[in-house]
Amino acid sequence: MIAQVLAQAFESPTIDYHALAPEIVLVSFAALLILLDVVLLEKGRTFISALAGIGLLATMLPILTLAIDGTDRVMFGGAYVVDDFSLVMKAMFVLSGYVVVLLSTNYIAEGDYWENEYYGLLLASLTGMVMISSARDLISIFVALELLSIPVYMMATWRKRDIRSNEAGLKYYLMGVFASAVMLYGMSMLYGTAGSTLLVDIGEAVGGEETTSIVTLAVIFTIIGFAFKVSAVPFHYWAPDTYEGAPTPVTAYLSVASKAAGFVALLQLVMVGFYARDDVYEPVLWILAAASMTVGNLLALRQENVVRMMAYSGVAQAGFMLAPLAVAGKIGDDAVVATVTYLLIYAAMNLGAFAVIIALARKTGSATLDSFNGAFHYAPGLTVVMTMFLFSLAGIPPFGGWFAKFAVLAALIDANTAAGVVLAVVAAVNSVIALYYYGGLARRMWAEEAPDGDLTPVRVPVSLVAALGLAAGLTLLFGVFPNLVSEVSDVSLISTLGG
Amino acid sequence: MFIAAALIILSGAMGVIVARNPVHSALFLVQTLFGVAALFVLQEAHFLAAVQVIVYAGAIVILFLFVIMLLGVDKVEDLNVEPIAGQRPLAVVIGAAGIGLMLTVLVIATDVISGAHSSTGPLGESDIDEIAKSIFGDYVFAFQLTGVLLTIAVVGAVVLARRAATDPEPIPESAYDELVAAQIAARESTLTAEGGDGTAQDGEETTDDGEDSADDGEAET
Repeated sequence: MIAQVLAQAFESPTIDYHALAPEIVLVSFAALLILLDVVLLEKGRTFISALAGIGLLATMLPILTLAIDGTDRVMFGGAYVVDDFSLVMKAMFVLSGYVVVLLSTNYIAEGDYWENEYYGLLLASLTGMVMISSARDLISIFVALELLSIPVYMMATWRKRDIRSNEAGLKYYLMGVFASAVMLYGMSMLYGTAGSTLLVDIGEAVGGEETTSIVTLAVIFTIIGFAFKVSAVPFHYWAPDTYEGAPTPVTAYLSVASKAAGFVALLQLVMVGFYARDDVYEPVLWILAAASMTVGNLLALRQENVVRMMAYSGVAQAGFMLAPLAVAGKIGDDAVVATVTYLLIYAAMNLGAFAVIIALARKTGSATLDSFNGAFHYAPGLTVVMTMFLFSLAGIPPFGGWFAKFAVLAALIDANTAAGVVLAVVAAVNSVIALYYYGGLARRMWAEEAPDGDLTPVRVPVSLVAALGLAAGLTLLFGVFPNLVSEVSDVSLISTLGG
Repeated sequence: MFIAAALIILSGAMGVIVARNPVHSALFLVQTLFGVAALFVLQEAHFLAAVQVIVYAGAIVILFLFVIMLLGVDKVEDLNVEPIAGQRPLAVVIGAAGIGLMLTVLVIATDVISGAHSSTGPLGESDIDEIAKSIFGDYVFAFQLTGVLLTIAVVGAVVLARRAATDPEPIPESAYDELVAAQIAARESTLTAEGGDGTAQDGEETTDDGEDSADDGEAET
């Protein structure tokens, strides 16, 4: 018996630990944080968040060494790929995770819902994101997606004695599970067609002529699953309630990192897996993009709560990010570049906007638009920075947002098709609509009187200042020197087709 | 054989949704999971079939039943109250549209689904070997991270469910009473709106059904 087993000795897969180092560091720190909580209990309150931040900075090290090394690493027969695209996205996830840790430091420690595990969950979720940027087969994508989602379901309901937070977590959980189910159904059909879970093999099988109907269904279902994740219309309805009920740092995390992770997976699926079937995915994504931009913006106009407004503006921004994919068949890798550019800039400016919302809520204790009235009179610094983020989100130079919008519009027009041009017009009109509510919030902060003439200044803790500085610096830098972004985001997915 | 298994699965799945008693739903779920095990046997994946029966049909559904009974929700839920008016007709329309879309795609399909196995060759020495090779070979990274995922899920669930020593006082009883009173009032108003004297009878009938089916459930288990 033993001889038999030894005869067909197990061939262990070759593992490149350097390529996996970011994930390994993150998981180690997540485990460390959770274990420390068992030992330290209340004593950990003061430094656990700093330790989480150190963990994230430590994760940047292997990402940087991998970037300097510069060779594409392929593992597990093409299921796990470390290339420029994945490194850029990994760096973005880790940095936005770092900003979220900074945002959470005081928010979580001062609330009566403090628990150490928060940071453990956050790091575990980031592990999923770091993994998804390298995952090039269906199983890895699915495991990574669940690993990044499940901790966030629980973080959304972290204020567990607040019924709104419970609602947020439950709604997000049910919608997320439903989306996963739809997506898995699509994936199972993809596997049935291709007989392989590797995106490269799926790309070959999907491009074939015979398997039209099943492939159409599979592509549509898979895209719908991710449309939930990135909160694209008409799959956006969980977003406003979840964003409003969840603790605000978690909302920032949801609207930036979680959304970006959905886009990363979508980019990989569309560009590597479905690329040959642009007759199927282009119309679907076109509708999603146009509907998200329009509906998101129109609903954002009517919101009274700033977090809900940001939720709908996030829906609209997701439409902009989807737009280049809707013409991906014509422009190839340019679509990836445009979306990645938009994601990077969006991460900086949106995290910044949430940082200001958190800082001001420390004084006002509310998130209604009215509570922003007259902020200039007691918090001039915050008001200036917030105006910058809002104008950046609206796409006004010299802040980063204009380049993001420019990249998307350029990609759409480059496609040189009627659909592309129409979508570009929709996008342009929507930028103008968005200016109305972004500008409206800025006007409230500058021109209105503070409620009750209360002019006591806001005390902004160090960690929030650091987060604001990071986000504001990047937003300005990206706007003034857009070639910085375009150099970083000059990535390609199609060239790695060979595996 | 395939058709028999498919029928078992589909009828079980329908039963899960249609049954008005959570215990019945759980038992229908067992039926579905057995059907899936039968499908695994058809594909000559005997190990997976065994795991499917032991883990899903055995352990997981038993846990479901534990939870249902411990929480005391093994009663018929009142489905007559519709929290958001119009959502059910809308759900029917959307569901029908989805099924319609799928059927259309399948009907206009140029490639008719034959039902033939896509892979006909032998799996290898044994299916256990093959599973081990894929789990610890190509998919080892995803496998390890699944472990992380499960750990994290347990940690988070415990944190959310536990009551810390520093918990503030629970919601006062009076507030709860008010909530219940408001719900009862809301329900009565809907029932009266539906029509006059049927109110009291409706209520009685529902509770009777609940007791009956609860008894049934126990008898079956």
